[in-house]
Amino acid sequence: MAQTDTQFETRGPRQAIHQIPLAKGFVTIVGSTVALIVLCLIFAPSAVSTGALVGSLPFAAVLAIVGLGQMLVVQQGGFDLSVPGGVSLAVVIATHMPSGNDADLLGAVLFAFGCAIAAGVINGLLVGVYRLNAIIATIGMNALLFGGVFAISRGVPRTTTDLLAEIAGGRTFGINHSVFIALAILVLVSFVMKKTVVGRRFEAIGANPLAAQAVGLRVKLYQMMAYVFAQLHYCVAGILIAGITREPTAFQGNSLLLPSVAVVVLAGTSLLGGRGFPISVVIAAFFLNQLSQFALAVGVPFSAQTIIQALALVVGIGIYSINWTTLTTKLANRNPKEE
Amino acid sequence: MTATQPIEAASAVDAIEPDRGHPVIRMTGVSKSFAGVHALTDVSVEFFAGEVHAILGENGAGKSTLMNIISGVLQPDRGAIAFDGRDVTPLSPDSSADLGVAISYQHPAILEDLSVLENLQVALPTQVFAVGDTRGIARRMLDEVGLHVPLQARAGSLPVAQKHLLELAKALAVNPRVLILDEPTASLDQDATNMLFSQVRRLVAEGTSVIYITHRLAELRQIGDRVTVLRDGRMAGRAMVDAVGDEDLLSMIVGRSLESAFPLKLDDPAPEINFTVSGLSGRKFKDVSFEVGRGQIIGVAGVEGNGQADLMRALAGLQSITGEVQLNGHAIGASALKSHAAYMPSDRHTEGVAKDLTVRENATFAALEKFSLRGVMRRPRELAKVNEVFRELAVKTAGLEAKILSLSGGNQQKVVMARALLSEPGFIVADEPTQGVDVGARSEIYRILREVSRSGTPVVVNSSDAAELEGLCDVVIVMSRGRVVETLRGDDITEARIVGAAVQADTHAHHVEEARRHHASFGERVKHFVQTDNATVGPLVVVAVALALYVFGQNENFLSAFNVSNILILATALGFIALGQTVALLMGGIDLSVGPLAGFLVVIASFFVNDGQPALTIAAGFALMLAAALVVGLINGSLIRFANFTPIAATLAMFIGLQGLSFVLRDGPDGFINFGVIETLTWRLGPIPVAFIVLVVLAIAAEFTLRKRRPGWRLRAVGSNEDNARRVGVRTNLTFIAGYVACSLLTALGAIMLMAQIGVGDPAQGVNYTLASITAVVLGGTSLLGGRGTFIGTVMGALLLTMVLNAVSFLGLTQTYQYMFQGALILAAALIYSTVRRKAEA
Repeated sequence: MAQTDTQFETRGPRQAIHQIPLAKGFVTIVGSTVALIVLCLIFAPSAVSTGALVGSLPFAAVLAIVGLGQMLVVQQGGFDLSVPGGVSLAVVIATHMPSGNDADLLGAVLFAFGCAIAAGVINGLLVGVYRLNAIIATIGMNALLFGGVFAISRGVPRTTTDLLAEIAGGRTFGINHSVFIALAILVLVSFVMKKTVVGRRFEAIGANPLAAQAVGLRVKLYQMMAYVFAQLHYCVAGILIAGITREPTAFQGNSLLLPSVAVVVLAGTSLLGGRGFPISVVIAAFFLNQLSQFALAVGVPFSAQTIIQALALVVGIGIYSINWTTLTTKLANRNPKEE
Repeated sequence: MTATQPIEAASAVDAIEPDRGHPVIRMTGVSKSFAGVHALTDVSVEFFAGEVHAILGENGAGKSTLMNIISGVLQPDRGAIAFDGRDVTPLSPDSSADLGVAISYQHPAILEDLSVLENLQVALPTQVFAVGDTRGIARRMLDEVGLHVPLQARAGSLPVAQKHLLELAKALAVNPRVLILDEPTASLDQDATNMLFSQVRRLVAEGTSVIYITHRLAELRQIGDRVTVLRDGRMAGRAMVDAVGDEDLLSMIVGRSLESAFPLKLDDPAPEINFTVSGLSGRKFKDVSFEVGRGQIIGVAGVEGNGQADLMRALAGLQSITGEVQLNGHAIGASALKSHAAYMPSDRHTEGVAKDLTVRENATFAALEKFSLRGVMRRPRELAKVNEVFRELAVKTAGLEAKILSLSGGNQQKVVMARALLSEPGFIVADEPTQGVDVGARSEIYRILREVSRSGTPVVVNSSDAAELEGLCDVVIVMSRGRVVETLRGDDITEARIVGAAVQADTHAHHVEEARRHHASFGERVKHFVQTDNATVGPLVVVAVALALYVFGQNENFLSAFNVSNILILATALGFIALGQTVALLMGGIDLSVGPLAGFLVVIASFFVNDGQPALTIAAGFALMLAAALVVGLINGSLIRFANFTPIAATLAMFIGLQGLSFVLRDGPDGFINFGVIETLTWRLGPIPVAFIVLVVLAIAAEFTLRKRRPGWRLRAVGSNEDNARRVGVRTNLTFIAGYVACSLLTALGAIMLMAQIGVGDPAQGVNYTLASITAVVLGGTSLLGGRGTFIGTVMGALLLTMVLNAVSFLGLTQTYQYMFQGALILAAALIYSTVRRKAEA
């Protein structure tokens, strides 16, 4: 029973800082990404050329932001199917409301954020307070958001304003602005999650809501806020898409739903809730994007790429699931309490 | 609980046992351990026909493990079980039942989403109902135990006592050769207990061997012939009941040698009172009062399940209560308890530790604000505080960032204590603080509790280990059936007095008088109907008719023969796929891959089912569609059951993969479907397509199977409660995999209709059916929690959804409304259904 016989010693707080273990998900995803880059360098150098990266990185950045939002919901044991609606609504608000006029852009962006908060609050209320299943609540919300999308756009795409195209689609020091924005959001999410009281409570509630309830934390409120902040992420992603793409359509968000879940899972977050890994999510977004680039470069038809993504997902989940199993078996066996 | 020696004195009693011939069951040298903890060590026992053999022992003595070995739920590590002299190890729940073993569990193996009748039907072998009218037979079974409830009542709506009666009815119904009763009277009132005893006497007279597990000596005297006492997983003694006195039995039950050292108790006989509880009542406990003086530790004792755990939760502010709690002379309101109490839960794994978090994070998550400045964590301060408290508690860990589960049970518990101390609580409520803790760490925990108490923080400890309370506490209250039956102080606190008060109490259950009350009022019947799974069909028909009439009023073409058949054709494809989704949801799972699967199957068909192809090729195309669906279902089911994927993860990966496969086979719409096949599939009688009639017939057949046939009960059983389903003999893995295969095959039927609809192999089609099918199923009234659902409702849901989408264009509304209606519909349905269900069950 005594696996840890080493008496706990205190050599001052400093020692502990260096003991932060690397999460399994982080090691896995970084290893896979490095391997992928090596493969690219050998078999498909064009996939890692500057030109290819400049072209594809903005989409990786958008996926990273959406993935961070989905991560917040998954951490609370939920699941957000309203990603397409949230992203698409932001896209059409950012393109249709200013309608090419730069002066109206700020108002449109603020309005988009307002809508995102409203959608998030409703999702949160339905799931956190009315105890609806997260899948049902977010399917319904997704349909409502698309109703909004068509109310605003009437299904017709409109050209992006020059200002937004410059902000979201431009480059500084040869790097796309969207990449900077994704990194800024990553820093913000990581800081809040790991360094603030709110973020630490958020993680604890996700890791074990019953234990959090037992010590008196406000579980429902935090579960609700996960959906609100997720929508804010989708909103930013939508505005970026509006800037990156010249004439974004109303269905721009549809292709992001499954990858958003995939990057969260690949980053090592359990679909049952718990700890989130923001950095890994962003790397996973890069990985998935680069995987497509690689496949494209070596001549795999576009169609087969999703199969590769599915296999990557199965392998990813497999790694974590099997680990999870042994953990629970151990747990069950260690508990001598009788039924 | 290791290395205690069994008391040999008990064997002297053996000599006077009469010879009963050959035993029905003989267990020899049976041992069982869980990850190094010995639950049973070298137990040998014989059970004879025609007598009641009682098993006595404290909590954790190994009684339930012994029973689970006989019923085949657990397999022993060593030792053999012989039945009628024949070695039958290893036993499974199936083979044990075949040998004639019936068991009534302490926590009834009742499937809450099934009706009373279905609970009997799924658990009992078919031949029980073979002759005569099923309802009549079931009625008689319930009458035997005095359970007078409607057969169609949902088992989950029964009070606990009635669930116990139902559990007994299941065990008695098979005329067992061996009947195991595990604490059967724990929640029964006196009448029900008398009924049970007379049933037991009747069975014994007929030659059944009854194994009766109990804590109560009084019951043993009433019903037992022979008794075996277990202590710490070993035989502590055996005797004939009328040849042994209570004193001897008590000394066999208790008297275990204590290895843990206890800290000195408080020597002040009249300390200043700092914590008072008066007239506290709540769920499962009533009118509890006690006082704690500064420096005293108060213990709560009793047989497990007599209200102690609820009392602890209530004191921690986690349950609603009436009565008063005073801390240092100030009354604390029920809502403020939470902020004053630090609760150490008994079930460390569910409520104590968060296994994803590190040791440090587990220690601090209740008190984060104490280590922060304007909301930002100050790590040095956090580390310093954690280091300090860990040093005080002597926590043994490889480091602050170690995984919490890498610690031993005792050290995990110390981390939970550290969390309690770091939050600087007003008082500490410790529920079973040493459960699953090794001997060495126990005395550490006792020392810490004592120090906390001495520093002026009141400590309340609940423990089912009487010896622990004797060593640790200054005051002990003993609870039975939710009431305090004895308060012990000072030298009166001995293990024997505590156990004696708990097992000899004759307080009868007061909260279960309704156990056998008859329900038949009109209101009750309405309530039962609202609770049935098909209750949604009526309102859905009303909404659909109202919608049709309204749209017809606006545009009379809506109900034209052409449009009606158009709606029905569209609803047929969705309906089949939604039926498949219903199967997945009934099992508590979900299948996200149905949409892409339908699209993929159409793409397959587009290579075979073309104009000019011979009939054989076309037939091969259909066969291939079904075969592909079968494979997909098997993969989904196997990933979920054997590779531990969540249903969402497995079917999501399948979703992406199938979509890719479709695009690999066809990069754009191509391969036109045979016109004759389309004609046949969309053939109609008047405005009604034959395919729609097939859908309705299939749904009715599926509904019938779901309610009246074993596969249907099994499907709902695994969705309702997998563990209980396994205990009543359902093969869960097989059921789950068969369920996912059924889901895929039904999707294949939908794909055939989809093929007729789009007429070409288009890789981009079908995907939307995933969300649409979930919407239709939810509209129909199937619960996403599993166990409850309706195929007929699903068809109605699919029809209504298709109508709404179709109506939008007839009303001249934009696409906006199409989405808005769809979203509003699913949310409204989900909200209404969940509210109605909650009300009906309240």
